[in-house]
Amino acid sequence: MRRTPITCGTIALVATLMTGATYVCPARAATIIDEWASVKAPPPPELKPVTVDPKTTALLMLDLLQGNCGHRPICLAEMPAMKKLLDAARGAGATIIYSGFGNVPPSEIIKDVAPAANEPMIHSDADKFLNTDLDKMLKDKGIKSVIVVGTAANGGVLYTAGEAAERGYNVIVPVDGLSADDLYAMQFTVWDLTHATPTIVKGVTLTRLDMMKF
Amino acid sequence: MPVIQRLFLATTTMLLAALVSFLALATEPARAQNIVDQWASVKAPPPPELKAVTVDPKTTALLVLDLFKQPCNVERNPRCVQSLAAVKKLIDEARGAGMLVVYTAYPTASGKPTAKDILPEVAPREGEAFFVGFLNKYIGTDLEKTLKDKGIQTVIVVGTFAHGAVLATAGASAELGFKVIVPVDGMSSPTLYAEQYTVWHLANVPIVSSRTTLTKIDMMKF
Repeated sequence: MRRTPITCGTIALVATLMTGATYVCPARAATIIDEWASVKAPPPPELKPVTVDPKTTALLMLDLLQGNCGHRPICLAEMPAMKKLLDAARGAGATIIYSGFGNVPPSEIIKDVAPAANEPMIHSDADKFLNTDLDKMLKDKGIKSVIVVGTAANGGVLYTAGEAAERGYNVIVPVDGLSADDLYAMQFTVWDLTHATPTIVKGVTLTRLDMMKF
Repeated sequence: MPVIQRLFLATTTMLLAALVSFLALATEPARAQNIVDQWASVKAPPPPELKAVTVDPKTTALLVLDLFKQPCNVERNPRCVQSLAAVKKLIDEARGAGMLVVYTAYPTASGKPTAKDILPEVAPREGEAFFVGFLNKYIGTDLEKTLKDKGIQTVIVVGTFAHGAVLATAGASAELGFKVIVPVDGMSSPTLYAEQYTVWHLANVPIVSSRTTLTKIDMMKF
């Protein structure tokens, strides 16, 4: 049998319930740096199958640039699967929007997943809703769900997916459609998308590319 | 049917079945390992070094994020409650040095909090700025204007959640051109995992890492 560790929170709760007095938790002696080696990752989240309605869904292809994805082996390894997703989305008539940062032109996007002439590209830092027309572009087309893929996982993907959920969109994130320089950053992204805020937890569905149907 | 023939038939059937299943496996495209498959093998990178900091009170503001009951209570976030004594010491030093101290909270299901909702241990004084915003406290508030009007060039960011408001606001501060100081004992999340990632992010992710100094409260001088 596993015992729940007695934390300061438990003591304070019991003290408050029994005596009505407020128990002040003692200050932390050790910082996170001291405790670094003892930190354990929480369990992985469950991936769920998703059926996409192409009429009300947009695929957001974030920052898949030569100068970014091009230097990231995990990102390049995902390109064949990403191309399949793109083809499926195009075939079904879903809305497709690309992003970059700075002023990079569409020609900087990795060739395998390059945009078609009618597919728009927006520019912003991590949160692609910030200082762009993204929200208006989605609302004008009656979009209710967004599929968020790209790089970096812990940059563009995390902040754009989080913001989309906060703005009321259903957010679909295939875990094999995001990438970063290392697995640690990707793991946190996946964890955070299922824990960050109640709105994000409710709004985000984690899936896998081969679990998505159009 | 003679025994030898029956044996031959059975063996052939087994071989055929094996061949069919092998072909089925071979034609099914191999699925690459994704992050959830690799979950258990992920190792945290080494911790960054904390550095001593000397603060210029004229050009530095202290941002105290979301230290109100909703995110900072013993049931949900005991590490936050445990950080209050250290944060109070930092606030006292900042005020003593005449620094700008700014507070924030976020809207909750029960409405829009006010400065009076900040926990009494770290409560704002009359006249100290208070803003309500979600994760990135620059969005939808006058925080940037308030800082720029006072000639602020550096922000010290403390509060909760480390991986929520602290990370988003520290990151946005760096992108807006401010230098950022984060004492690791002034920020808190319900889990060590989330605090650890926040520290790693601030120390490693481009733009924010180049403008952020990680320290602890007793390594800061005013």
